[in-house]
Amino acid sequence: MTVQTTHQSRRGGYLERPSPSSLADVIEVILDKGMVIDAYVRVSLVGIELLTIDARIVIASVDTYLRFAEATNRLDLYEHGGKDIGDVVDDLREGGAESKTRGAVRGVKNTVKEALSSGDESDGGDEEQQDRPRRPAKRTPSRRRSE
Amino acid sequence: MTAAPPTAEAPAAVLVYGVVAPADTVASDGPAHPDGALPEGSLGPDGEPLRLVTHDDLAAVVGGVSPQWRPGRADLLAFSAVIDTLARRGPVVPVQFGSLMADEQEVVDQVLVADEDRLRDLLASLAGKTQVQVRARYVEEAVLSEVVAVDPEVRALWARTRELPEGAGHGDRVRLGERAARAVAERAAQDAETILGVVGRYAVDAISRPVAGMDVLDVAVLLEADQVAALEDALEALAQASYRRLRIRLVGPTAPYDFVGER
Repeated sequence: MTVQTTHQSRRGGYLERPSPSSLADVIEVILDKGMVIDAYVRVSLVGIELLTIDARIVIASVDTYLRFAEATNRLDLYEHGGKDIGDVVDDLREGGAESKTRGAVRGVKNTVKEALSSGDESDGGDEEQQDRPRRPAKRTPSRRRSE
Repeated sequence: MTAAPPTAEAPAAVLVYGVVAPADTVASDGPAHPDGALPEGSLGPDGEPLRLVTHDDLAAVVGGVSPQWRPGRADLLAFSAVIDTLARRGPVVPVQFGSLMADEQEVVDQVLVADEDRLRDLLASLAGKTQVQVRARYVEEAVLSEVVAVDPEVRALWARTRELPEGAGHGDRVRLGERAARAVAERAAQDAETILGVVGRYAVDAISRPVAGMDVLDVAVLLEADQVAALEDALEALAQASYRRLRIRLVGPTAPYDFVGER
């Protein structure tokens, strides 16, 4: 078995890991947070506070709806993996069922359960698990790579 | 309360960064050499080195501020960098950005003394812990496809409006958008719950912020520092499994900004 690689390179890269020092993320993480003290004044960050608030508040307006409608109208469902809508609907209605949906639409709950409980989704079986011992069922969060 | 009038030497005010327990911060000699506790080379908004203001076992990190100070992006990033450096050395209670006090004595009296019990409790409870931010956002096309597929009303409106020339069917378009937005929000609530279920296995505490539009989840997570990698692995698996329809991002670790207020 291979030695566990370092923090970064062992990631599959599906999880986005932005640098915490990027301005947008710093703003998100720290602006208006932290302990409130009895300061005699709190100076605001020039120009930024307002932008953040604007971005956060999405008012349910006609404009918002029209934007949604426009995005929806751009869809062409038939292009998604060749499934027709009937199949997709069936898949979705089944929700928690185990039917093997290979199509475009899968409930996240199903895929999450699979991903977290089986360690691999392929038919690779044992070999695959040996190669990737780090994603077994996560029932024991304390057992972690700590070397 | 009145601020002391600025003099030629003294800064107009001090910016409070955060509160630490000096034993965790000071390199070796304790509070007698407070400068050693501070992130090397870190300067306050006035360009002078940061200072430690101490009271018993508590210390506030402060920097001088000139009367004309108008904080901008660089100041926010610098503030964040100082707090993160402190957080790597030990527990820190970050203070809300931009909090100014008249002078160091006021910091002692109104922060370190006035809040001393709360600060000690917080520092003790935050030891060994860190914060990350987990966000999830839908892939717009994917989630709207789902919505059109499963929601008969959306599908009918979609079918009716998509062939219309631009500008026609305004009422139907608004209805389509409204119904689709609601359906996406319902879906987001379910998916957020699923993700939170995973996060919860590693979290000591979690605070979700409201989301809208294509956002599914925005949650601040407090966890033991040695659990970050495990959470990252779990989220990686989750992100991979659901990559077609949503994106998950993990920001941090950072200082526990979300877990030092009254709740």
